[in-house]
Amino acid sequence: MTSPPLTINSVTSDNRGTTLINHWQAGVPVTTGPVLTPLLAFLIGLAAFGFVLAGIRLVSPLGPFSAMNSVYAWGIWKTFNVMTLTALGSGPLALGMAAWVFNRQNLHVVMRTALVSGFLFYATGLVALGFDVGRPWNFYSAAMPWRWNSESAMLEISICMPLYCAVFLSFEILPLFLERLYYTGNDKARAFLRHVSPSIRKAYPYVIVGAYVIPLMHQSSLGGLLLLAGDKIDPLWQSPAMPWLYLVAAALCGFSFTIFLLLIACLRYARKLDGGVLSELANLLSGVCFLFLAIRATDLIWRGQLHSAFAFNKMSLLFLLETSLILTPAITLRFRRVRETPRALLNMSALACLGGMLYRFIPTSIAYAPMRSTSYFPSVPELVMAVGYISLGIVAFVLAINYFAVLPGEASTWDHAFRPFGWKRRATSPAAMLRTVTTALEKGV
Amino acid sequence: MNILTAPLTRRQAFKAMLGLSGTVASAVLPMPALASTEEHPAHPVAPPDAVAMLYDSTICTGCKACMPACNEANGLPADTLLSGGIWDMPTGLNAKTKNIIELYQDPKSDEFAFVKKQCMHCLDPACVTGCPFGSLKKVDLGAVTWNSSLCIGCRYCEVACPFEVPQFQWEAWNPKIVKCEFCYDQRLKENLEPACTAACPTGAVIFGKRDALLDQAKGRIAAAPDKYYENRVYGEHEAGGTQVLYLSSVSFQKIGLPKLGSTSLGHYATKVTSIIYKWLGGPILMAGVLGFAIRRNWNRHELERLQHEKETGFPDQL
Repeated sequence: MTSPPLTINSVTSDNRGTTLINHWQAGVPVTTGPVLTPLLAFLIGLAAFGFVLAGIRLVSPLGPFSAMNSVYAWGIWKTFNVMTLTALGSGPLALGMAAWVFNRQNLHVVMRTALVSGFLFYATGLVALGFDVGRPWNFYSAAMPWRWNSESAMLEISICMPLYCAVFLSFEILPLFLERLYYTGNDKARAFLRHVSPSIRKAYPYVIVGAYVIPLMHQSSLGGLLLLAGDKIDPLWQSPAMPWLYLVAAALCGFSFTIFLLLIACLRYARKLDGGVLSELANLLSGVCFLFLAIRATDLIWRGQLHSAFAFNKMSLLFLLETSLILTPAITLRFRRVRETPRALLNMSALACLGGMLYRFIPTSIAYAPMRSTSYFPSVPELVMAVGYISLGIVAFVLAINYFAVLPGEASTWDHAFRPFGWKRRATSPAAMLRTVTTALEKGV
Repeated sequence: MNILTAPLTRRQAFKAMLGLSGTVASAVLPMPALASTEEHPAHPVAPPDAVAMLYDSTICTGCKACMPACNEANGLPADTLLSGGIWDMPTGLNAKTKNIIELYQDPKSDEFAFVKKQCMHCLDPACVTGCPFGSLKKVDLGAVTWNSSLCIGCRYCEVACPFEVPQFQWEAWNPKIVKCEFCYDQRLKENLEPACTAACPTGAVIFGKRDALLDQAKGRIAAAPDKYYENRVYGEHEAGGTQVLYLSSVSFQKIGLPKLGSTSLGHYATKVTSIIYKWLGGPILMAGVLGFAIRRNWNRHELERLQHEKETGFPDQL
C-alpha cells in the first residue's frame, strides 16, 4: 500500500503526543480515487444477494426461511442486527450528548461521521425488523395511540426506533444534504436554501433534543425487553440493571465504534489524524467503560451473583471475556501515551466495541436458555440476509463519504466543488493533472 | 465553561426555578395516584369471578380424550407429522396443538406421571404485559386471548412466557399465535366449561372458580398427606399465581413445570419503568433538562461559529 503512514501531525518526524493543535475543522468529502473499487463491488453483490433473499421472504413464511422456532423465537435479525448493531449506531447519541449537552465543542467536527454511520445502522436494523415480523400489515396500529399498550417495552421500541431514524436523526444530518445542494445546485436552489436555512438553524437546537431523549428511551428499553424473559436468561445477565447497562453499553459502543471508524477511514483515504479529538474521544470512552464496569460489579454484588462470575463454567468464562474486553481499554486508555498512539487507539477501540457488542448479544442468545430442549443456529438465508444488511450499510457509508462532506479534515482541504454524481475516473495527482494540461496545450486546445 | 458555574441572567434564573419547581411537583403530586392504582402488584390477587382448571396428575390415566376435544372446539388440524399422516401425534405444544398430555418416565425407576400442558392463564401474564398493541389480552373470567387484528407478529410473547406456551405459525403466510384461550369465544361465553375439562372422563382436570378449586386442591392434600409433591399446589403462587392449578406426586420440574418465583414477571419488568414513563414524566423531564443544556451550548456554539467564519473565511458546518 502506497498511502503515507499514519501521522498525528503533518510533520514527518515522530512527534506523537506533542501536538494539541486541532487539525480537523470541517467535514471534507473524499475526492480522490475511484468510488467503485473491487471491494465495494463485492459488497454491493452481497447486499444485492441479501435483497434477493429478502424479496423471496416477502412471499414466503418465516418457517422454511429461518431456523427460528417457538422456543428461540428471536433470530439473529433481532438479536444481532437490531439489539447489537444499534449499539454501534449509538455514536450520534454518545457524541451528541458529549458535544451538545456537555459542551465538548471539539467533537462537533466528528459528529457527521457518527451521524451517518448511526443512521445506517438504525436504517438497516429497521429493514431487518421489517422482514422479521410475521404480521407487518398490522403495524398501522402505531399511529393509533388508543391501541398502545403503554407498559410494553416492545411498543416503545417499535415506535421510537422508526421515529428516531426517520425524523430526528434525519433532521440532524439534513445539513449534510443541503450543503451539497448549495454547492452543486443551481441559483434557484441556492436562493431557496438561503431562504430556509435560518429557520432550520432556529429549529435545530429544539429538534435535536428529541434526537437525544428518544434514543435514551429506546436504547434502555432494549435491555428492558429482556426483563420479561425472566429466568430464561442466565443470572449473570438477567438483572433489573439491564436497561441501564444496555444504555451505557450503547454509549460505550457508540464512542468506540466512532473512534474505530474514524481511524479506519483515515487510514484508507490517507487522511491526517487529529490527536486532540481522538484522544478526547478515547478519554470519554475510558470513562464510559469504567462506568459500565462499576454498574456491572455493583449489580452482581447487590444480587449476590459474584460467585457465579468466577465459577469458570461456560457462562462465567463468557462473562470474564466480555468484562476483560471492556476492562482492557478502560485501563489502557487512561494513559495519555496510549490515547495518542493511533495503533493502540485502533486496537483498544476495537476491543471495547467487541466487549460492548458481546454484552448486548449474549443475553439475547447465548445466555438465553429456555427449558425446552431445542437449539437455534441461524440458517443460511438468515445469515446471508444479515450479512446483506451490513454490506448495504457499508456501501451506503462509502458512497456517503465520497459524495458528501462527512469525514473530518482540515478546512483548507475542503473541496467546495464536490465530486459530481456522474463522475468519471480521471487523473488525480497534481503531477498527472499537470501532464493532461500540458498535453492539451501541446495539442493546441 | 461548566454549566453549574456559568453566570445566570435574571431571566435564566427564573426559568431554572420554574423548571426545578416543576420537577419537584411532578415527583410529589402523582405519589398518591401511584400508590392507589398499581397495575402490576408483585403478588396479584385473583378477582372473585376468576375461573380455573385443576389438573391432578395422580388421577390422569393418559387417555388423551382432552386433545381431540380441544382440536374440535378450536378447529385445529391433527398434527400427523410423526404418525405418517394417520393420527394426531404432537411432540409438544405447537402451531397445531393448544393442549397436550405428556408422559414423564424416569429411565431408572418405574416412576412416571402424565402432565397436561396448555396456557396457564397467569393472573398477571407476562405475554400481555409485553404485547405492544394489546393483541394478547386478559379478558373477563381471566382468560388470556389473542386478537389477530392487533398482532404484528413480533413474537415477544414467546420470549416473555415463562411456560413457553404461545406458538407462532412458522409455516403460514398469515401467521397466527396459537395458544389455549380457555375456549373463551367457543364455550366460556356461552356458560359452557372448556372442551378439555368437559371431555375428561376421570375428572383429572376439572373446571370451576379459582378460589373453590384452590380449596378443593388443598383439601386433597390434607386428606392424603405426603401423597403430593411438596404438599402444595403448583400455580397458587408461581409467577404471581396462575389460573391453571397442578397437583402431582412427582417433582413439578420433572414433569416440565418450571421453578419460578412468586413475584409476577410484569411487576419485575415494569416496577421502575412504570414510574419513569408515568404520563411520560421521565422523558418530558429529560427533554427539559437536555433542552436547557443544549440551548445554552447552542448559543455558545453560534458565537464561536461567527468568530470562526470571520477569522478563516470558511463557512461553518452543522
